[in-house]
Amino acid sequence: MSGAAKSRWFAGAAAATLALLLIALYWALIGAPTEATMGTIQRIFYYHVPAAFSAWVAFGLNAAASAWYLARRSPKADALAVAGAEVGLAFLSVNLISGPIWAHPVWGVWWVWDARLTLTLAMWVMYASYLILRQLTPPGSLQPRLAAALSMFFAADIPIDYMAIRWWRTQHPAPVLFGGPDSGLAPRMLVALLWSLAAFLALAGLLMWMRYRQALAQDELTRRRQQQLLAQEA
Amino acid sequence: MPSWRIAAAVAARDLRIEARTREALLAMGFYAVLVMVIFSFAFAGDASLTGLAGGGLLWVALLFAALVALDRSFSREAAESSWTGLLISPAPRVAVLAGKFASSFVLLLGLEALLVPLFAVLFNAPRSANWGGIAVTVLLGSWALAANGTYFAAMSAHARQRGLLLPLLLLPVSIPAVLAMVEATQAYLAGGGMANYWLRILAGYNVIFTALGAMLADAVLEAE
Repeated sequence: MSGAAKSRWFAGAAAATLALLLIALYWALIGAPTEATMGTIQRIFYYHVPAAFSAWVAFGLNAAASAWYLARRSPKADALAVAGAEVGLAFLSVNLISGPIWAHPVWGVWWVWDARLTLTLAMWVMYASYLILRQLTPPGSLQPRLAAALSMFFAADIPIDYMAIRWWRTQHPAPVLFGGPDSGLAPRMLVALLWSLAAFLALAGLLMWMRYRQALAQDELTRRRQQQLLAQEA
Repeated sequence: MPSWRIAAAVAARDLRIEARTREALLAMGFYAVLVMVIFSFAFAGDASLTGLAGGGLLWVALLFAALVALDRSFSREAAESSWTGLLISPAPRVAVLAGKFASSFVLLLGLEALLVPLFAVLFNAPRSANWGGIAVTVLLGSWALAANGTYFAAMSAHARQRGLLLPLLLLPVSIPAVLAMVEATQAYLAGGGMANYWLRILAGYNVIFTALGAMLADAVLEAE
Protein backbone atom coordinates (compact mmCIF):
# COMPACT_ATOMS: atom_id res chain seq x y z
CA MET A 1 0.00 0.00 0.00
CA SER A 2 1.31 3.46 -0.83
CA GLY A 3 1.68 6.12 1.83
CA ALA A 4 -1.26 8.12 0.50
CA ALA A 5 -3.55 5.07 0.42
CA LYS A 6 -2.52 4.21 3.97
CA SER A 7 -3.36 7.73 5.09
CA ARG A 8 -6.80 7.51 3.45
CA TRP A 9 -7.49 4.18 5.18
CA PHE A 10 -6.33 5.64 8.45
CA ALA A 11 -8.56 8.72 8.10
CA GLY A 12 -11.51 6.46 7.32
CA ALA A 13 -10.81 4.25 10.35
CA ALA A 14 -10.44 7.30 12.57
CA ALA A 15 -13.78 8.72 11.39
CA ALA A 16 -15.50 5.37 11.96
CA THR A 17 -14.01 5.13 15.46
CA LEU A 18 -15.19 8.62 16.31
CA ALA A 19 -18.72 7.75 15.12
CA LEU A 20 -18.68 4.55 17.21
CA LEU A 21 -17.51 6.46 20.28
CA LEU A 22 -20.36 8.97 19.89
CA ILE A 23 -22.95 6.21 19.48
CA ALA A 24 -21.52 4.41 22.53
CA LEU A 25 -21.64 7.62 24.55
CA TYR A 26 -25.28 8.15 23.60
CA TRP A 27 -26.20 4.61 24.61
CA ALA A 28 -24.22 4.73 27.86
CA LEU A 29 -25.74 8.05 29.00
CA ILE A 30 -29.23 8.08 27.46
CA GLY A 31 -30.09 4.87 25.61
CA ALA A 32 -29.52 2.44 28.48
CA PRO A 33 -32.06 2.37 31.33
CA THR A 34 -30.96 3.47 34.82
CA GLU A 35 -30.09 0.48 36.96
CA ALA A 36 -32.65 -0.21 39.70
CA THR A 37 -30.48 -0.47 42.85
CA MET A 38 -27.21 1.29 41.97
CA GLY A 39 -28.69 4.19 40.03
CA THR A 40 -26.83 6.37 37.56
CA ILE A 41 -23.37 5.38 38.80
CA GLN A 42 -23.88 1.97 37.17
CA ARG A 43 -23.44 3.67 33.76
CA ILE A 44 -19.70 3.69 34.36
CA PHE A 45 -19.94 -0.04 33.61
CA TYR A 46 -20.22 0.77 29.88
CA TYR A 47 -16.69 2.22 29.95
CA HIS A 48 -15.24 0.06 32.72
CA VAL A 49 -15.85 -3.34 31.11
CA PRO A 50 -14.95 -2.48 27.49
CA ALA A 51 -11.73 -0.82 28.69
CA ALA A 52 -10.66 -4.04 30.43
CA PHE A 53 -11.67 -6.14 27.45
CA SER A 54 -9.69 -3.95 25.03
CA ALA A 55 -6.68 -4.08 27.35
CA TRP A 56 -6.75 -7.89 27.34
CA VAL A 57 -6.95 -7.92 23.54
CA ALA A 58 -3.97 -5.54 23.37
CA PHE A 59 -1.95 -7.64 25.83
CA GLY A 60 -2.86 -10.76 23.85
CA LEU A 61 -1.47 -9.04 20.77
CA ASN A 62 1.66 -8.16 22.73
CA ALA A 63 2.16 -11.82 23.71
CA ALA A 64 1.57 -13.11 20.18
CA ALA A 65 3.89 -10.48 18.67
CA SER A 66 6.57 -11.27 21.28
CA ALA A 67 6.47 -14.99 20.45
CA TRP A 68 6.67 -14.04 16.78
CA TYR A 69 9.66 -11.83 17.52
CA LEU A 70 11.52 -14.56 19.41
CA ALA A 71 10.92 -16.98 16.54
CA ARG A 72 11.73 -14.64 13.62
CA ARG A 73 13.45 -11.53 15.04
CA SER A 74 11.21 -9.37 12.85
CA PRO A 75 11.20 -5.61 13.61
CA LYS A 76 7.51 -5.55 12.65
CA ALA A 77 6.75 -8.03 15.43
CA ASP A 78 8.57 -5.82 17.91
CA ALA A 79 6.67 -2.74 16.76
CA LEU A 80 3.40 -4.62 17.28
CA ALA A 81 4.53 -5.74 20.74
CA VAL A 82 5.26 -2.17 21.82
CA ALA A 83 1.92 -0.99 20.46
CA GLY A 84 0.06 -3.76 22.30
CA ALA A 85 1.77 -3.13 25.63
CA GLU A 86 1.40 0.67 25.61
CA VAL A 87 -2.20 0.76 24.44
CA GLY A 88 -3.13 -2.13 26.73
CA LEU A 89 -1.66 -0.34 29.73
CA ALA A 90 -3.57 2.84 28.88
CA PHE A 91 -6.89 0.96 28.63
CA LEU A 92 -6.21 -1.02 31.78
CA SER A 93 -5.58 2.31 33.55
CA VAL A 94 -9.03 3.50 32.44
CA ASN A 95 -10.45 0.29 33.89
CA LEU A 96 -8.54 0.66 37.17
CA ILE A 97 -9.54 4.31 37.61
CA SER A 98 -13.21 3.88 36.68
CA GLY A 99 -13.56 0.88 39.03
CA PRO A 100 -13.02 2.70 42.34
CA ILE A 101 -15.23 5.61 41.20
CA TRP A 102 -18.04 3.05 40.91
CA ALA A 103 -17.04 1.03 43.97
CA HIS A 104 -17.01 3.91 46.45
CA PRO A 105 -20.77 4.63 46.38
CA VAL A 106 -21.78 1.00 45.73
CA TRP A 107 -19.46 -1.01 47.98
CA GLY A 108 -18.68 1.84 50.39
CA VAL A 109 -14.92 1.50 49.81
CA TRP A 110 -12.62 2.57 46.99
CA TRP A 111 -10.71 -0.66 46.78
CA VAL A 112 -10.91 -4.23 48.07
CA TRP A 113 -8.34 -6.99 47.62
CA ASP A 114 -10.74 -9.11 45.67
CA ALA A 115 -9.60 -11.66 43.08
CA ARG A 116 -10.38 -9.68 39.95
CA LEU A 117 -9.11 -6.36 41.29
CA THR A 118 -5.91 -7.91 42.51
CA LEU A 119 -5.30 -9.69 39.22
CA THR A 120 -5.95 -6.49 37.26
CA LEU A 121 -3.56 -4.56 39.46
CA ALA A 122 -0.98 -7.33 39.07
CA MET A 123 -1.31 -7.14 35.28
CA TRP A 124 -1.00 -3.37 35.37
CA VAL A 125 2.20 -3.63 37.40
CA MET A 126 3.58 -6.27 35.02
CA TYR A 127 3.08 -4.28 31.84
CA ALA A 128 4.34 -1.15 33.54
CA SER A 129 7.54 -3.04 34.34
CA TYR A 130 7.68 -4.14 30.69
CA LEU A 131 7.65 -0.51 29.54
CA ILE A 132 10.24 0.45 32.17
CA LEU A 133 12.49 -2.36 30.90
CA ARG A 134 12.18 -0.90 27.41
CA GLN A 135 13.05 2.53 28.76
CA LEU A 136 16.15 1.38 30.58
CA THR A 137 17.72 -0.99 28.06
CA PRO A 138 19.70 0.45 25.16
CA PRO A 139 17.95 0.35 21.77
CA GLY A 140 19.21 -2.09 19.17
CA SER A 141 18.71 -5.83 19.01
CA LEU A 142 18.96 -6.32 22.77
CA GLN A 143 15.90 -4.34 23.85
CA PRO A 144 13.29 -6.16 21.75
CA ARG A 145 14.76 -9.52 22.71
CA LEU A 146 14.62 -8.86 26.45
CA ALA A 147 11.15 -7.35 26.17
CA ALA A 148 9.86 -10.34 24.20
CA ALA A 149 11.28 -12.77 26.77
CA LEU A 150 9.63 -10.78 29.58
CA SER A 151 6.32 -10.89 27.74
CA MET A 152 6.58 -14.69 27.57
CA PHE A 153 7.03 -14.72 31.35
CA PHE A 154 3.83 -12.68 31.70
CA ALA A 155 1.94 -15.09 29.46
CA ALA A 156 2.91 -17.94 31.78
CA ASP A 157 2.34 -15.87 34.89
CA ILE A 158 -1.17 -14.55 34.33
CA PRO A 159 -2.97 -17.95 34.48
CA ILE A 160 -1.11 -18.92 37.68
CA ASP A 161 -1.86 -15.49 39.10
CA TYR A 162 -5.50 -16.01 38.27
CA MET A 163 -5.67 -19.36 40.09
CA ALA A 164 -3.72 -18.19 43.12
CA ILE A 165 -5.63 -14.95 43.53
CA ARG A 166 -9.03 -16.51 42.95
CA TRP A 167 -8.25 -18.95 45.73
CA TRP A 168 -7.19 -16.06 47.91
CA ARG A 169 -10.16 -13.66 47.55
CA THR A 170 -13.44 -13.16 45.71
CA GLN A 171 -15.80 -10.16 46.01
CA HIS A 172 -16.13 -8.62 42.54
CA PRO A 173 -19.61 -8.94 40.99
CA ALA A 174 -19.80 -12.15 38.95
CA PRO A 175 -19.51 -11.58 35.21
CA VAL A 176 -22.91 -10.55 33.87
CA LEU A 177 -22.26 -12.11 30.48
CA PHE A 178 -21.83 -15.89 30.22
CA GLY A 179 -21.83 -15.91 34.02
CA GLY A 180 -24.40 -18.64 34.64
CA PRO A 181 -28.20 -18.92 34.64
CA ASP A 182 -28.87 -16.01 37.05
CA SER A 183 -26.66 -13.51 35.31
CA GLY A 184 -27.70 -11.36 32.42
CA LEU A 185 -28.36 -7.81 31.36
CA ALA A 186 -31.55 -6.01 30.41
CA PRO A 187 -31.69 -6.03 26.58
CA ARG A 188 -31.12 -2.25 26.26
CA MET A 189 -28.18 -2.47 28.65
CA LEU A 190 -26.71 -5.21 26.49
CA VAL A 191 -27.08 -3.01 23.40
CA ALA A 192 -25.26 -0.17 25.19
CA LEU A 193 -22.50 -2.54 26.30
CA LEU A 194 -22.01 -3.97 22.82
CA TRP A 195 -21.78 -0.50 21.23
CA SER A 196 -19.25 0.47 23.88
CA LEU A 197 -17.28 -2.70 23.30
CA ALA A 198 -17.17 -2.04 19.56
CA ALA A 199 -16.14 1.59 20.12
CA PHE A 200 -13.39 0.76 22.61
CA LEU A 201 -12.00 -2.03 20.47
CA ALA A 202 -11.97 0.29 17.47
CA LEU A 203 -10.21 2.98 19.46
CA ALA A 204 -7.64 0.52 20.81
CA GLY A 205 -7.07 -0.82 17.29
CA LEU A 206 -6.65 2.68 15.89
CA LEU A 207 -4.17 3.69 18.60
CA MET A 208 -2.18 0.48 18.15
CA TRP A 209 -2.07 1.05 14.41
CA MET A 210 -0.71 4.58 14.99
CA ARG A 211 1.86 3.36 17.48
CA TYR A 212 2.89 0.48 15.22
CA ARG A 213 3.51 2.82 12.27
CA GLN A 214 5.32 5.27 14.51
CA ALA A 215 7.62 2.52 15.86
CA LEU A 216 8.43 1.31 12.35
CA ALA A 217 9.10 4.88 11.21
CA GLN A 218 11.41 5.34 14.19
CA ASP A 219 13.34 2.18 13.21
CA GLU A 220 13.63 3.41 9.64
CA LEU A 221 14.82 6.82 10.78
CA THR A 222 17.52 5.30 13.00
CA ARG A 223 18.68 3.07 10.15
CA ARG A 224 18.90 5.96 7.68
CA ARG A 225 20.80 8.11 10.17
CA GLN A 226 23.32 5.31 10.63
CA GLN A 227 23.70 4.91 6.86
CA GLN A 228 24.22 8.64 6.50
CA LEU A 229 26.89 8.62 9.19
CA LEU A 230 28.64 5.69 7.51
CA ALA A 231 28.49 7.49 4.16
CA GLN A 232 30.09 10.57 5.70
CA GLU A 233 32.87 8.45 7.17
CA ALA A 234 33.64 6.93 3.77
CA MET B 1 32.69 -30.68 29.16
CA PRO B 2 29.10 -31.70 30.02
CA SER B 3 26.71 -28.87 30.83
CA TRP B 4 26.17 -29.92 34.41
CA ARG B 5 29.91 -29.66 35.09
CA ILE B 6 29.99 -26.16 33.62
CA ALA B 7 27.06 -25.20 35.83
CA ALA B 8 28.78 -26.75 38.83
CA ALA B 9 32.00 -24.90 38.01
CA VAL B 10 30.19 -21.53 37.77
CA ALA B 11 28.34 -22.21 41.02
CA ALA B 12 31.50 -23.40 42.81
CA ARG B 13 33.36 -20.29 41.66
CA ASP B 14 30.58 -18.01 42.96
CA LEU B 15 30.42 -19.81 46.29
CA ARG B 16 34.21 -19.80 46.63
CA ILE B 17 34.29 -16.02 46.11
CA GLU B 18 31.47 -15.71 48.63
CA ALA B 19 33.25 -17.94 51.17
CA ARG B 20 36.36 -15.77 50.89
CA THR B 21 34.72 -12.35 50.96
CA ARG B 22 31.38 -13.08 52.70
CA GLU B 23 30.14 -9.86 51.09
CA ALA B 24 26.69 -10.95 50.00
CA LEU B 25 25.93 -13.07 53.06
CA LEU B 26 26.92 -10.25 55.43
CA ALA B 27 25.10 -7.57 53.46
CA MET B 28 21.90 -9.53 52.95
CA GLY B 29 21.92 -11.04 56.42
CA PHE B 30 22.33 -7.66 58.06
CA TYR B 31 19.70 -6.19 55.78
CA ALA B 32 17.16 -8.90 56.60
CA VAL B 33 17.85 -8.57 60.34
CA LEU B 34 17.28 -4.81 60.10
CA VAL B 35 13.97 -5.32 58.32
CA MET B 36 12.88 -7.74 61.04
CA VAL B 37 13.95 -5.40 63.83
CA ILE B 38 11.95 -2.57 62.28
CA PHE B 39 8.94 -4.88 62.02
CA SER B 40 9.36 -5.83 65.68
CA PHE B 41 9.24 -2.15 66.59
CA ALA B 42 6.03 -1.80 64.62
CA PHE B 43 4.43 -4.86 66.16
CA ALA B 44 6.13 -4.85 69.56
CA GLY B 45 6.62 -8.62 69.41
CA ASP B 46 2.94 -9.26 69.97
CA ALA B 47 2.53 -13.03 69.57
CA SER B 48 -1.05 -12.75 68.28
CA LEU B 49 0.21 -10.58 65.39
CA THR B 50 2.72 -13.25 64.43
CA GLY B 51 -0.23 -15.56 63.89
CA LEU B 52 -1.88 -12.97 61.63
CA ALA B 53 1.01 -11.48 59.71
CA GLY B 54 4.10 -13.60 60.47
CA GLY B 55 4.29 -15.13 56.98
CA GLY B 56 4.32 -11.70 55.42
CA LEU B 57 6.98 -10.38 57.81
CA LEU B 58 9.32 -13.29 57.16
CA TRP B 59 8.99 -13.14 53.38
CA VAL B 60 9.37 -9.37 53.08
CA ALA B 61 12.69 -9.70 54.91
CA LEU B 62 13.78 -12.66 52.75
CA LEU B 63 12.65 -10.96 49.53
CA PHE B 64 14.73 -7.87 50.23
CA ALA B 65 17.69 -10.02 51.20
CA ALA B 66 17.37 -12.02 47.97
CA LEU B 67 17.39 -8.81 45.93
CA VAL B 68 20.60 -7.72 47.62
CA ALA B 69 22.22 -11.12 47.01
CA LEU B 70 21.25 -11.27 43.33
CA ASP B 71 22.46 -7.76 42.73
CA ARG B 72 25.81 -8.61 44.36
CA SER B 73 26.11 -11.82 42.38
CA PHE B 74 25.80 -9.95 39.08
CA SER B 75 27.68 -6.79 39.95
CA ARG B 76 30.68 -9.04 40.63
CA GLU B 77 30.40 -10.25 37.05
CA ALA B 78 30.72 -6.71 35.76
CA ALA B 79 34.23 -6.45 37.20
CA GLU B 80 36.89 -7.23 34.60
CA SER B 81 34.17 -8.12 32.08
CA SER B 82 33.80 -11.56 33.60
CA TRP B 83 30.18 -11.77 32.40
CA THR B 84 31.13 -11.04 28.79
CA GLY B 85 33.84 -13.68 29.16
CA LEU B 86 31.29 -16.25 30.26
CA LEU B 87 28.95 -15.35 27.41
CA ILE B 88 31.53 -15.53 24.62
CA SER B 89 32.92 -18.81 25.95
CA PRO B 90 31.61 -21.94 24.19
CA ALA B 91 29.71 -22.95 27.36
CA PRO B 92 25.96 -23.37 26.78
CA ARG B 93 24.09 -20.35 28.10
CA VAL B 94 21.68 -22.51 30.05
CA ALA B 95 24.61 -24.03 31.95
CA VAL B 96 25.95 -20.60 32.91
CA LEU B 97 22.51 -19.52 34.05
CA ALA B 98 22.02 -22.78 35.99
CA GLY B 99 25.33 -22.19 37.75
CA LYS B 100 24.36 -18.67 38.76
CA PHE B 101 21.01 -20.01 39.94
CA ALA B 102 22.60 -22.75 42.04
CA SER B 103 24.95 -20.37 43.84
CA SER B 104 22.13 -17.90 44.61
CA PHE B 105 19.90 -20.75 45.79
CA VAL B 106 22.54 -22.12 48.17
CA LEU B 107 23.29 -18.64 49.47
CA LEU B 108 19.59 -17.97 50.12
CA LEU B 109 19.21 -21.28 51.95
CA GLY B 110 22.23 -20.44 54.11
CA LEU B 111 20.71 -17.10 54.98
CA GLU B 112 17.34 -18.66 55.79
CA ALA B 113 18.95 -21.19 58.12
CA LEU B 114 19.96 -18.16 60.20
CA LEU B 115 16.90 -15.98 59.70
CA VAL B 116 14.03 -18.38 60.30
CA PRO B 117 15.16 -19.22 63.87
CA LEU B 118 15.78 -15.52 64.48
CA PHE B 119 12.28 -14.78 63.21
CA ALA B 120 10.82 -17.42 65.54
CA VAL B 121 12.57 -15.80 68.51
CA LEU B 122 11.90 -12.13 67.69
CA PHE B 123 8.24 -12.66 66.90
CA ASN B 124 7.44 -15.30 69.52
CA ALA B 125 6.31 -17.81 66.92
CA PRO B 126 4.13 -20.52 68.45
CA ARG B 127 5.94 -23.80 69.16
CA SER B 128 2.90 -25.64 67.87
CA ALA B 129 3.61 -24.31 64.35
CA ASN B 130 4.39 -26.88 61.69
CA TRP B 131 8.13 -26.16 61.30
CA GLY B 132 8.68 -29.01 58.85
CA GLY B 133 6.07 -27.45 56.58
CA ILE B 134 7.70 -24.04 56.95
CA ALA B 135 11.06 -25.57 55.98
CA VAL B 136 9.53 -27.01 52.78
CA THR B 137 7.90 -23.65 52.01
CA VAL B 138 11.20 -21.86 52.51
CA LEU B 139 12.93 -24.37 50.23
CA LEU B 140 10.36 -23.98 47.42
CA GLY B 141 10.09 -20.22 47.92
CA SER B 142 13.85 -19.76 47.71
CA TRP B 143 13.88 -21.82 44.54
CA ALA B 144 11.30 -19.48 43.00
CA LEU B 145 13.18 -16.34 44.06
CA ALA B 146 16.57 -17.69 42.97
CA ALA B 147 15.32 -19.00 39.60
CA ASN B 148 13.39 -15.89 38.54
CA GLY B 149 15.88 -13.63 40.25
CA THR B 150 18.82 -15.09 38.35
CA TYR B 151 16.97 -14.80 35.08
CA PHE B 152 15.94 -11.18 35.62
CA ALA B 153 19.29 -10.18 37.06
CA ALA B 154 20.90 -11.55 33.88
CA MET B 155 18.32 -9.59 31.92
CA SER B 156 18.99 -6.34 33.73
CA ALA B 157 22.77 -6.86 33.60
CA HIS B 158 22.76 -4.98 30.28
CA ALA B 159 20.59 -2.11 31.42
CA ARG B 160 21.34 1.28 32.79
CA GLN B 161 20.26 1.36 36.46
CA ARG B 162 20.75 -2.38 36.92
CA GLY B 163 20.01 -2.31 40.65
CA LEU B 164 16.79 -0.41 40.04
CA LEU B 165 15.53 -2.64 37.27
CA LEU B 166 15.91 -5.99 39.04
CA PRO B 167 13.16 -5.53 41.67
CA LEU B 168 10.90 -3.90 39.10
CA LEU B 169 11.12 -7.00 36.92
CA LEU B 170 11.26 -9.66 39.61
CA LEU B 171 8.43 -8.61 41.90
CA PRO B 172 5.50 -8.34 39.44
CA VAL B 173 6.19 -11.74 37.85
CA SER B 174 6.68 -13.30 41.29
CA ILE B 175 3.28 -12.20 42.63
CA PRO B 176 1.70 -15.69 42.58
CA ALA B 177 4.82 -17.24 44.12
CA VAL B 178 5.01 -14.59 46.84
CA LEU B 179 1.31 -15.02 47.58
CA ALA B 180 1.79 -18.78 47.87
CA MET B 181 4.89 -18.46 50.10
CA VAL B 182 3.22 -16.02 52.45
CA GLU B 183 -0.06 -17.93 52.66
CA ALA B 184 1.63 -21.32 53.13
CA THR B 185 3.92 -19.97 55.87
CA GLN B 186 0.94 -18.28 57.51
CA ALA B 187 -1.06 -21.50 57.42
CA TYR B 188 1.83 -23.53 58.85
CA LEU B 189 2.34 -20.99 61.64
CA ALA B 190 -1.27 -21.65 62.57
CA GLY B 191 -0.68 -25.40 62.36
CA GLY B 192 -1.61 -26.42 58.79
CA GLY B 193 -4.94 -25.62 57.14
CA MET B 194 -4.78 -24.71 53.46
CA ALA B 195 -1.00 -24.92 53.30
CA ASN B 196 -0.96 -27.94 50.96
CA TYR B 197 -2.83 -26.08 48.27
CA TRP B 198 -0.37 -23.18 48.39
CA LEU B 199 2.62 -25.52 48.31
CA ARG B 200 1.22 -27.11 45.16
CA ILE B 201 0.83 -23.68 43.52
CA LEU B 202 4.40 -22.86 44.50
CA ALA B 203 5.76 -26.17 43.18
CA GLY B 204 3.87 -25.75 39.91
CA TYR B 205 5.14 -22.20 39.61
CA ASN B 206 8.71 -23.39 40.13
CA VAL B 207 8.44 -26.07 37.45
CA ILE B 208 6.90 -23.70 34.88
CA PHE B 209 9.20 -20.76 35.48
CA THR B 210 12.40 -22.76 35.77
CA ALA B 211 11.60 -24.45 32.46
CA LEU B 212 10.68 -21.13 30.85
CA GLY B 213 13.87 -19.49 32.09
CA ALA B 214 15.93 -22.35 30.65
CA MET B 215 14.06 -22.20 27.33
CA LEU B 216 14.53 -18.45 26.99
CA ALA B 217 18.11 -18.40 28.27
CA ASP B 218 19.59 -17.93 24.81
CA ALA B 219 17.27 -15.02 24.07
CA VAL B 220 18.48 -13.13 27.11
CA LEU B 221 22.11 -14.13 27.34
CA GLU B 222 23.61 -13.03 24.06
CA ALA B 223 26.86 -11.14 24.22
CA GLU B 224 26.37 -7.73 22.67
